Order: sequence, then C-alpha cells, then structure tokens
Amino acid sequence: MAMQTKERPVPNGVMLELTGDLTYANREQFKTAVESIRQKGCRHLILNMADVRFVDSSGLGLLALVSQNFKLSQGKVSMLKPQSYVREIMSLANIQKLIPVYENEQDALAGQPKAA
Amino acid sequence: MKPETSEAPQTVLVVDDEPTARVALAARLKRLGYRVLQAGDGKAGLDLLRRERPDLTILDWMMPEMDGPSFCETVRRDPTLLSSQILMMTGNDQPEQIAEGLARGADDFLSKAASKYEITARVQAGIRAAGLIRRLEDVTAEIRQKQEALEQELQSAARYVESLLPASGPVVPGVRMARLYRPSLALGGDLFNIVPWSDDFLGLYLLDASGHGVSPALRSSAFATFLRRDSLMRHVGSNDPGAILTEANKQFPLTERGHYFTIVFASLDLRCRILSYASAGHGGALLHRRSGEVCWLAQPNLPLGFDPSTTYVTATLPIEPGDRVYLLSDGLYEFPAANGELWGQERLETTIRALAQQPLETVIAETIAEAVRAQGHEQFPDDVALMGVEIERELG
Repeated sequence: MAMQTKERPVPNGVMLELTGDLTYANREQFKTAVESIRQKGCRHLILNMADVRFVDSSGLGLLALVSQNFKLSQGKVSMLKPQSYVREIMSLANIQKLIPVYENEQDALAGQPKAA
Repeated sequence: MKPETSEAPQTVLVVDDEPTARVALAARLKRLGYRVLQAGDGKAGLDLLRRERPDLTILDWMMPEMDGPSFCETVRRDPTLLSSQILMMTGNDQPEQIAEGLARGADDFLSKAASKYEITARVQAGIRAAGLIRRLEDVTAEIRQKQEALEQELQSAARYVESLLPASGPVVPGVRMARLYRPSLALGGDLFNIVPWSDDFLGLYLLDASGHGVSPALRSSAFATFLRRDSLMRHVGSNDPGAILTEANKQFPLTERGHYFTIVFASLDLRCRILSYASAGHGGALLHRRSGEVCWLAQPNLPLGFDPSTTYVTATLPIEPGDRVYLLSDGLYEFPAANGELWGQERLETTIRALAQQPLETVIAETIAEAVRAQGHEQFPDDVALMGVEIERELG
C-alpha cells in the first residue's frame, strides 16, 4: 500500500501524519518528507502512526536513521499512537529506546514518557 | 550500442521470375545507391535472404512454384528471418489482394504501375523500417548478453556465499547440525555458521542483513569475516555473546540508506551444559528441550547499528543431552499465509513441536515444507535459513 504524508506545525515542532505502510517500497517518499522537515530546522518531529498498518525491516531501519539524523542536528523524534501490530514489531526491536512512544499529542509535545 | 562503423550501402534483394522487369528494377535501385541482389524464383530468394540478410526484399507476387505470399509465410515462420522487411509487387493492386498479401506477411505493397517517385519513396520507407528493426535487435541482443553476464556474476557470488555456510553433519563428537538455506533472490543476505572453538565449546550465529540482493550479501560476508574466531579474539577478546554483539554494534553502523543487521549469537558450553546467547533485534532462535519444553531465545534489543551506545547482555540457559537449538531467519515465519494472515512464530513452534520425535534432518526439511504449504507456493518473499543443532552425547 502506498504512503501519504501530511505535515502540520505544532508548538516547537512538526507533526507528520503518515497513512499507509512504512516499507521498502515507500522509503524514498518517507525519507524525502522527513528530510525536508529536518532541513527547515525542526527540532522535534512527531510521527503520527495511527494510520500506519505495517512497518517492515526496511521501515525500522529508516526510523532508526531518522532518529540518528535528528540527534545529529540537536533534534528529537517521537511517535504517536502506533497500531498494535506495529507496536509489537517495534518493541521486539526495542525502538522505543530510540523513539519514545506516546498515546496523545499533549504528552508527545510535553515529552513526558507516560506510555511505552 | 556499437557506433556505426561505416556507411556501407544498404542491400536490396529483388525476387522476380521475369528477367526484364527484375533487371530494370535492379538497375533503378543501383542508381539510387543500393547494393542489389537478384533471384529468379522464391527458393533462390530464400537462400539469398538467409545468406545475405538484405535490408529490404522486393518480391513479385506471381511466380511459379513458390509465389510471393508463400515466400512471405515461409519467412514469418522462420525465427532467424521473421524480422525481414518485405515489399510485395503486383500488377493487380485490388484492395482484397493487398489485404491478403499483408495478412500473409508482406510489410508493404508496390504496384507495378507505380511511378519512379513512388518506388523510391516506398523503398526508402522499407529501408528505414529495416534500420529501426535492426537497431532494436542489436540493442535487445546486447541487453540479453549483459543480462546473462550479470546473472553469471550473481550465480558465482551466490556460490561463494553458499561456500561460507557450514555443511550439515557432525560438528564435534556428540553434536550434530542440519540446515537449509533458501535465499529469496540468487544472492541472500542471511548467513549462519557453527564453529567449534574447542571440543567442548561451540560458537554459532545467524545474521540477517536488511534489504535484498547484492549489497546485503556483501555486507553479510564482511560481517561473517568479523565473526571468525581469530577476528573475535582480536577485536573482542572474549567468547561472550553479549560482548561480541556490543563490539559488532560499533563496527557495523547503520548505512546511509538505513540498512543494518539483526543477529543472534550463541555459544554452547558442553562441559558446563550452558547455552549462552545474545540477540540484536533478531527473533528467530529457540531451544527445544528433550522434555518438550520450548524456550524462545528472545531479547527485546535494538538491531545492530541503531544506537552505538547499546550494551548487549548475555543470557544463559541450562542444556541437556537431547536438547536442540534452532537458529532461523524471521523470513521463516514472517510471511503471509495463503489466507493473508502472517504465519507467525506460534505456528512455527507448533510445527517444530510436532516433529520432536523425528531426526534433526527431518525436522529441518519438514519445517520448511510446512511453511511452503502454508504460504501455498515455493518462493519465500524473504531469505529463509534454518539451522538446527542437537546435543547427542552424554555431557561431562
């Protein structure tokens, strides 16, 4: 399934709404969307995963890469509301250690690690 | 594409049983700068066509024995000739006849009453089409050749990767290994090995490079070199799986395209009856005890390269004679079954449990066969490797 991305500003950051699968086939689209946000100087990227059905191994690598790149430019990446299957894949790979996971936008904005 | 080396004149073959008409047309074509071949009947025409591969053939309809349309049909049935350009000439240019001629294989028509301008124009059009077809054929042949060369390269690389894998059979006295490897493309990014470090101590691993094709295979074989015993002694100075992965994590950062390894690394200490292991984002490892109990060797850990500061920790489990350890690719359970659902770890575990009484080789073969049945076809979407290790002997 193809991926759609939609960004909107939030206090001190950008929310990127993702729809579709975060997979090898959609990697360029995802990378382009995220890189353009980072190059605009964004310090906090929040990935809204509520409408992402599937993340494959290539998608996991991209998430790690994005998190490393934001760290290099003194920024951070958070994740909002992953679906249960995606959450399972990510917890097997312990991704929440790199990218904190939140259940609502307020917590993500405040950076309170309420949910894991 | 090869550059045009010379401007050799193009060749036109004229096939006509009437000498006067044939010679007159040939003379006209020569004046236009073409090299001209002549044949007085269809059979001689076919011989010349085969031998000389002219750019264009101008063919009379009415000829004894083999007429024009039969000539065309013969050409179109012959794979080496079928792309020849044929211009059919007739005195009777009724639409029905033209249609029949085209249907039987002519490319174009020329009336015997045509003006010399029309003849020139149709010949040029035919030559133009022949040139395009010839270029297409050359390019296709070149692509096919390059493709074959590339495939041979891949096959030879695949044989190299296979040569890195251990052979099924006894590893040390009392420990047997059986394995199966099914790369999704010619070249796989999954590698595994089992190496006796002494008679009582074995190191084993299975690694999975993300992505498919040449680049993961190259990265995997570099990693396999790092995991050789002498290299580990030099870089890590320890047998400890956690220490090995912690160092590997520093040596193999995420690539700039976001590629990485997952791996499970284990050691079997036969004297102390201990299985030690550490894993980095790899879910495919389990211990199947002779008692029937199954323990997945799972640790929720980052894959290698995700965070250079990660420390990987060794976990241990006691082992007994008759226990079996399986290391496997996640491709063996993370594939969609025929009903669209993921096949999953639970079904894999059930399959392996059901085969508990079978010899190790049978478990390996039957597990893969069951997964093939579940997905409904032979071709896994991802690399699939499965290595089983059985402790047979009475341990010290």
